Parts: sequence; structure tokens; C-alpha cells
Amino acid sequence: MSFSQTLFTGYGNWNPVFWIIGFIVALIISWLLLRRGESGCNRDTEQVKSYLSGNAEPEKGDVHIRAGNMYWGFTEALKEYYEFLVPVHTGILTDYILWFLGVMAVIMVILLGGSIL
Amino acid sequence: MRLSESFNRSLWVFHFNSGSCNGCDIEIVATLMPRYDPERFGIKLVGSPRHADVLLVTGPVVHAMAERLKRVYAQMADPKVVICIGSCGQSGGVFFDSYNLDGPVGDVIPVDVYVPGCAPRPEAIIDGVVKAISKLERLEGEKR
Repeated sequence: MSFSQTLFTGYGNWNPVFWIIGFIVALIISWLLLRRGESGCNRDTEQVKSYLSGNAEPEKGDVHIRAGNMYWGFTEALKEYYEFLVPVHTGILTDYILWFLGVMAVIMVILLGGSIL
Repeated sequence: MRLSESFNRSLWVFHFNSGSCNGCDIEIVATLMPRYDPERFGIKLVGSPRHADVLLVTGPVVHAMAERLKRVYAQMADPKVVICIGSCGQSGGVFFDSYNLDGPVGDVIPVDVYVPGCAPRPEAIIDGVVKAISKLERLEGEKR
């Protein structure tokens, strides 16, 4: 078996030495390209920011499409449901306990009322 | 004329209209036409200040453009020069007492070459660019 055929899979040959040589060549090419760059460029200034017709670069979160866009159709179809549900989710524990007690009271009235009748 | 390093690299120009009436902008476009053809020396307009050696500013600086002009200037790599085209950028011109001005270009960013006129002819603009080349040569020399 020759040097280039360390691992013969039936579909081709694989040799880690060739990969390492390839990476080294790629690194040398990258370094040569980097050397040709503008040396006067200061990394901590506006010089490395995108040119947006002179406007300030917005925060990444403001320009990226949010994950919520994935289920836009779902939320649009259930808009009326969400319009009610989202304000109810206040994040305040006492609100949730009040809802819990309220719903429990309604269930109790239904159950007890039914048994009395 | 001996070609210096900055000239070999060719002079790339970014045009910024900070509130001009477009008279100077038309003259800049006329300068780029085949009659004068500065591109044969490698002088050409580019679309981003990050690629440019020279910032060509036309007009006085209106409020809305002052921050943008400062940002565009900051985005240019060193060494860089600023050429102010026209009387408005020099002094405010006919708009000198307008409520909407932050002032002449020199009040907002440092200007290296002034090309006066309303509007300056292409020959004057080319003369300003040649002066900018000599300034760039000096800056390059100081950097070495």
C-alpha cells in the first residue's frame, strides 16, 4: 500500500498528512492575503464598521430576523387568541395565584352546584 | 513627473454631498467624463469610504449630515485627505446664514484642500486632486 492510501474506503483514499499539508498551505495563503491588507486600518475605530451611507450601525439584534418569524403564520392565524393571552402573562406571581384561585372557584361552583342540584 | 507610491496605488475618491445644490456634483461628474478622463491615472470614484484615499465634500454641512460626515471621515483608512469642492463648503456660500447649517465643512472635519468656485470647473477640481496627491505623498513619507 502506498503512502497516500493510509485508509482505503472503497470510495477513495484518506490520509491525515495530506489534510495537514492542505491546512498549512491554506494558512500560508491566508497570511499572504492578510499581509496585502491596509496597514493603516485601526481596529478599535469606525474604520472596521460597515458603511451604511454614513448612518450608525444598528445593534445586531435589531437587524437580524428573529426566530419568532419562523412561526409567523401560526401567530397570525391565532392573533385574537394571542391578543388576549399575552397581556394576561404579566409575569407577576400574585396574578397567577389569583387566576388559579378564580378558576378553582369556578370549578368548585360547577362541581358543588351540580352535586347540590 | 515621477510616480510616487500613492500614485502607483492610484487615488480613489469618495464623494460626499453634505447639502450641496448639486452644481458641484455635476462638475465632479463632468470631471470624470472622457474629456478629462482622470481614470487614466487611476483616479476614480468609489462606493465606500473604506476604499478611498480622498474624501470629496460638496456643499455646506446641514444638521442632518454633520454626524454622517464625521462618521464617513472616521471610516476612511489613514492616510487620507479631504477636498472641499465649492464656495458653500468653504464659507457657507449663499447659504451662510441658513438656520439649517452646522457650518462650512472645515467646522465639522479637517479639510486639506479647498477648491473655491460656484461651481468650480473640472480643471480646478483636477488641480485640487493634484494638490491632494502631494499631501498624500507627504503623509506617506511621514509614515515610513
